[in-house]
Amino acid sequence: MNFLEKLLALDRRIIFLFIAIAVALPLFFTVKLHIEVTPVVRNLHNALEALPPGSKVLVSLDYDPGSMPELQPMAESFFRYCFMRDLKIIIIGLWPNGPIQANSALEIILNEPDIKKKNPKYGIDYVNLGYTAGNEVVIERMGSDIPVTFPKDYSGNKTEDLLLMKGVKNFNNIDFVYNLSAGYPGTVEWVLFGVDPYKIKLGAGNTAVQAPQIYPYLNSGQLVGLLGGMKGGAEFEIATGKPAKAVKFMFSQSVSHALICFFILIGNFAYFATRKKKGA
Amino acid sequence: MERIGIWIAALLTLGIFSFLYKDNPFYKFCESLFVGISAGYWFVTTFWQVFMPKLADNLVAGRFYYMIGAIFGVLMLLRLFPKIGWLSRWSLALVVGTTAGLYFTRYLVSNGMIQVQNTIIPLYVKGNLSQTIGNLVIVIGTFSGLIYFFFSKEHKGTFGGLAKLGIWFLMLSFGASFGYTVMSRMSLLIGRMDYLLGTWLGLIR
Amino acid sequence: MKKTKAVLFSILIILFFFNLSFPQENLSPPPPTEVRASDTQNDNGHSITITWKLSGDDGAGKKNVVAYEILRSELPTGEFVVRGMVPAGNNTYQDRGAKEKEDKNYFPPHKDFYYKVRAKTLNSYSESEVAGPAQAYGEWFHLGKLPVFVGTLAFTIMVLAFISLARKGKEFYVRPLAGIDAVDDAIGRATEMGRPILYILGLGSAADIATIASFTILNRIAKKTAEHKTKIIVPCNDPIVMSVAQETVKAGYLDAGRPDMYKEENIFYLTSMQFAYVAAVNGIMLREQTATNFYLGKFYAESLILAETGSVAGSIQISGTDEIAQIPFFVAATDFTLIGEELYAASAYLGREPLLLGALKAQDLAKAIVMISLASGAVAASFHLDFFLRLFTVQM
Repeated sequence: MNFLEKLLALDRRIIFLFIAIAVALPLFFTVKLHIEVTPVVRNLHNALEALPPGSKVLVSLDYDPGSMPELQPMAESFFRYCFMRDLKIIIIGLWPNGPIQANSALEIILNEPDIKKKNPKYGIDYVNLGYTAGNEVVIERMGSDIPVTFPKDYSGNKTEDLLLMKGVKNFNNIDFVYNLSAGYPGTVEWVLFGVDPYKIKLGAGNTAVQAPQIYPYLNSGQLVGLLGGMKGGAEFEIATGKPAKAVKFMFSQSVSHALICFFILIGNFAYFATRKKKGA
Repeated sequence: MERIGIWIAALLTLGIFSFLYKDNPFYKFCESLFVGISAGYWFVTTFWQVFMPKLADNLVAGRFYYMIGAIFGVLMLLRLFPKIGWLSRWSLALVVGTTAGLYFTRYLVSNGMIQVQNTIIPLYVKGNLSQTIGNLVIVIGTFSGLIYFFFSKEHKGTFGGLAKLGIWFLMLSFGASFGYTVMSRMSLLIGRMDYLLGTWLGLIR
Repeated sequence: MKKTKAVLFSILIILFFFNLSFPQENLSPPPPTEVRASDTQNDNGHSITITWKLSGDDGAGKKNVVAYEILRSELPTGEFVVRGMVPAGNNTYQDRGAKEKEDKNYFPPHKDFYYKVRAKTLNSYSESEVAGPAQAYGEWFHLGKLPVFVGTLAFTIMVLAFISLARKGKEFYVRPLAGIDAVDDAIGRATEMGRPILYILGLGSAADIATIASFTILNRIAKKTAEHKTKIIVPCNDPIVMSVAQETVKAGYLDAGRPDMYKEENIFYLTSMQFAYVAAVNGIMLREQTATNFYLGKFYAESLILAETGSVAGSIQISGTDEIAQIPFFVAATDFTLIGEELYAASAYLGREPLLLGALKAQDLAKAIVMISLASGAVAASFHLDFFLRLFTVQM
């Protein structure tokens, strides 16, 4: 067996080892990478910048711990941005774990010094209305009546008693909707049942798996902007001027991608070279 | 207490990762534990997040019409009894019919008409070469992709050529999608590595 | 005294004529004109739309208009209240309200309202003439959604027509699908090797179209495995799917004339949690050493994990899903893939049921209409003709 044939027959465990090193080693270093903010993220940021302080933003967290590495940094950077700009946050979840993820993100953000100075209060600056079963039907119902769809918040308080929810009847009283989605129900359902019937302004953060499916909605204007995967999250952190977890992980991401590209190139080279040899 | 939880999570992560080397009893144990706990967790979540707020609380509040939904739910479960399993077809019919009705016009508008509307774009834009090329790619790609999924005619001759072009466009988009997904998987691995090296071992901040 | 009065009178006359020659500057901008108030079209009857011609000083001139205020009254000479404001450059406003009577922002339908528009600068304003009366009322039919109505009606008629034709025995051609042609070879391979076949229905529920299509294919494969006396394993993610799968496989064995070979324990429920299910299926693949794996249905992130493990186990793999995000993995990691709609076509191709064939034909006809509209529309749009664009424009 020559070198190329040995390469093709390489034990995949060696490749796993290389990937593990390529992911783990960069985490020990702090490298400042130049991250360009792409137009799809810039548009989302611009749409948020156009909101005056006091605007109500509905945040729907539709993911579970399995998608945390990609979406949790997006949730944290978004909450940070909203608190800094005095945008009021109404949290819901179409997945059972969504509101729990929101609380985890809030726990971190509310302890940051800049945010502590602002002293956001529950019920006035942000609320967590929790999860309700029904998937896309929940979005449909919110178009008519949000307090009826979420009669109690995550802690069991009556929605109508929350100061922030006074005057919030349906989507007409919401200035922007931000959706973090890992699958179904998620951004697609928000477009189908929220954007087109109720004309809501929707921005989304998706796992990189789902992002390609969402691009058609960007081109047609049904979505104002999209954060695709951890890179999208890093771009948003750069756009808001607060680099955090997603930016930190970009070095690891870049090194692992470079390694995968290298393996793809040598693998294909070896494959075509050995095929040619066999043909000859 | 939190420290014990972190250790358990880390060891279970390593147990699942051990499958990458080869199948082993440690992996089998972690797999069985995961299957068992997930079944239990799913049951508890469904009970407290769906059954209680959507049915029990409504019945207690006097909204007895929610029993209609409960009855249909029970009928669905009768599927498991062969003699009276046919009753579940009513529940299934309700679910399928409602879903079809709810989705049909939404899909037609959001995924059909609006997308077609945004694909009816000029093939030539005066003074803008990049947009002209972009528009041509979109229109030809969409058209040839639709040709590929046309099942009433065999893929021969010009039609077959267009279908082949369609599958090339599809494969290019699958490649881009694959790349995005590789990024996603790497992100998940980075998240786990951060947990193991940072939260568990404290080697990184 | 007379002289003083005359002087004062003369000064007054001079001042009057001076004022006429050099009039004092009027700070108010020209008012908006042509104000029209009418019912908002295609709504639920609680809104009136007001339009006007912009003030002459809108966005330019000395008396720079910065905004327009819209005022409403129930009488033409009554008290006008401000209903809203729009920035300069805008010449339309929708006066909307709630439909519930108990809401403080209730907008009554079928009631006369009068409007006027006020052009505002930083320190002055001018008002238009009063427009009205205008009443809000709901429309029975939303004309903006006419394309949706026509599309729905046309598609429904097509589906029913083709199903009717199929039931009458008309032969419909469905092009061959590579993945389905490979099924027989794949089952034969498993028989020769004496190893079982694994069939995964995916993570969808029994109501998902992909799962329903997969049941039809499972029925055919179960019949073939019964004929070949090959074991088939069907681990399920959903209890309802499991019970339907059991019936499907049993029916397949019955069709093959081998009901005694049917073993219910081969079609079982594992767990509803995604990755727990995948971990268990991976274990089955490696322990049972399945020769052929079928992944047909609704899949999510676990698709590549399944396909990779099957590849490691040396199984031949045939896949099919309508989940766009997962198709690339199946294409890369399995031997044959039914891409998207090919899965539904495969169930029609194998099942030959009039319902499935009729629906497939109607879809093809709809696709043909879209393709023709797309091609014609793109060519027309190049010449700035928007007829085809208007056909697909929906106002929600």
